[in-house]
Parts: sequence; structure tokens; C-alpha cells
Amino acid sequence: MAADLNTSLQVSAAGMEVQVARIKVIAENLANQNTTGSSPGADAYRRRVISFQSRLDSALGVETVGVKSVGTDNSEQPLRYDPGNPGADKNGYVKTPNVNSFVELMDMRDAEQSYSANLNVASTTRSMLSRTLDLLK
Amino acid sequence: MSPFQPQIFDLAEKRLAWASERQAVLARNIANLSTPGFQAMDSPDFQQVLSGTVGVQPVRTDPKHMAGTVDPGLTARPVPETTARTADKNGVRLEEQLMKVADTETLHSTVTAIFKSYMTMFNTALGKSS
Repeated sequence: MAADLNTSLQVSAAGMEVQVARIKVIAENLANQNTTGSSPGADAYRRRVISFQSRLDSALGVETVGVKSVGTDNSEQPLRYDPGNPGADKNGYVKTPNVNSFVELMDMRDAEQSYSANLNVASTTRSMLSRTLDLLK
Repeated sequence: MSPFQPQIFDLAEKRLAWASERQAVLARNIANLSTPGFQAMDSPDFQQVLSGTVGVQPVRTDPKHMAGTVDPGLTARPVPETTARTADKNGVRLEEQLMKVADTETLHSTVTAIFKSYMTMFNTALGKSS
């Protein structure tokens, strides 16, 4: 494995990319935190969870990071008493999404932090690269 | 000591290669900050790499085989760190990794500065103003 500074830049870019994908999933969850089912007794929106894995980039010849899967959170959906809702079952209860906005916000903070860490590494790598080029002067 | 020291350039080149290698390893660690089950890696010490003590030991299946290690050069395999892992079995500590990145950058700029100052000396000796 011969890794040069350009490789590091690519790896950091992959790191930022997965964090953006994570933010996208978080945004989706938060946007749908009140989405209930439309027919009686139907499931409400299910929270989505993203997971990452380290994977080999064959073009670069090094391991970077990628999105492994975007799954659904199968935890129980809380019930709310709302007999007028089109999604209410015969007892008048509506299933509400299993999205906890605090959890999502914390996750967002985490994603933001990881993104800026990757950005930091990329800018450090860039300055190393330009200093190497300066040797030619 | 001879003022003509090509070893300096050779050494500088090796050290720069090592620094880029380490930067790639650290970039990978940080990119995998939220990957479950990922263990942080680090390059072996430069001294170890230079002295060739991180080489691969070939298996001797016959007593007539020669003993010794294969020098992997500067692209020595990174070694896993032994940090505590979080609940998702991820063993990357951001602060530590960022410190290492900063370290590597400082080292890189030191080496490039030394390289440049040697080049200046050569230019002076050759009668060119740098």
C-alpha cells in the first residue's frame, strides 16, 4: 500500500461524504416526526438508521469508509389517543413515529463534529501538499 | 564532516514518505469515526522503519533456509492501537487522532524546511542567489 497525500485527501472526502449521508437521514427523520399512517391502524413513519463500514477503494488501493445500509428502527411506535385522525384504529388510538427529536439532534451534533474533523484533516493534508510543492521553488 | 551530504536528502525523502503514509492512516481513522467495530491504526515509529525492525519474518520450513526479515520499505503495515472501545466497538478517539495529525504536519513542515535550507546552501555554493 503506497499512500500519498492525495490518497489522504480522498479518504477524508469519503469521511465527509458519509457524514453528509447521515445528516440527510437525520433530516428525513426530523421532517417526518409527525407523519402518521393514513388508513386506520396503519403504521406511522418508522425512524431510519444509517450504518457505516470501512471498505476497500480498489481505485485508490486503500480502505476508506462508506455507507453500509440505511435500515429502519423497529422499536415500538407510541400510541396517541386521537379518535378524529384518519389513521386512528377502532379504539381511537393513532400510531405515532418512533422519532425522538433529542436523539436526532444529538446525532446531528455528532455528525457535524465528525464532518469538521474530516475537514480539518483535509486542510492539514492540503497544506502539507503545498509545502511539498514549495520544495520545487 | 563533508558539507556535501546527499544522505540528508535521502533521509528527508524517506521521512516525507513516512509522513504521507501516516497522514493517510490517520485520515482513515478519522473517516471511520462512526463505523461500528473499527479499530484505529497508526504507522510504526520512523526509527523502527529505518532500522528495518518492522519487517516481515518469513517462515523457515527447512533448516537450510536463511534467517532474516524482509524489509517492507517505507510502506510498513500500520499497527492497530489498543485504545478502549465504545459501545459500538469503535476504537477511534478523535482528540488523540487530531493530535497525531497536528504532529505529522509539524514534522512534515520541519523536514521541508530542512530540505529547503540545504537547497539554499547548494545554491549559494553554486553561486546562485536563492
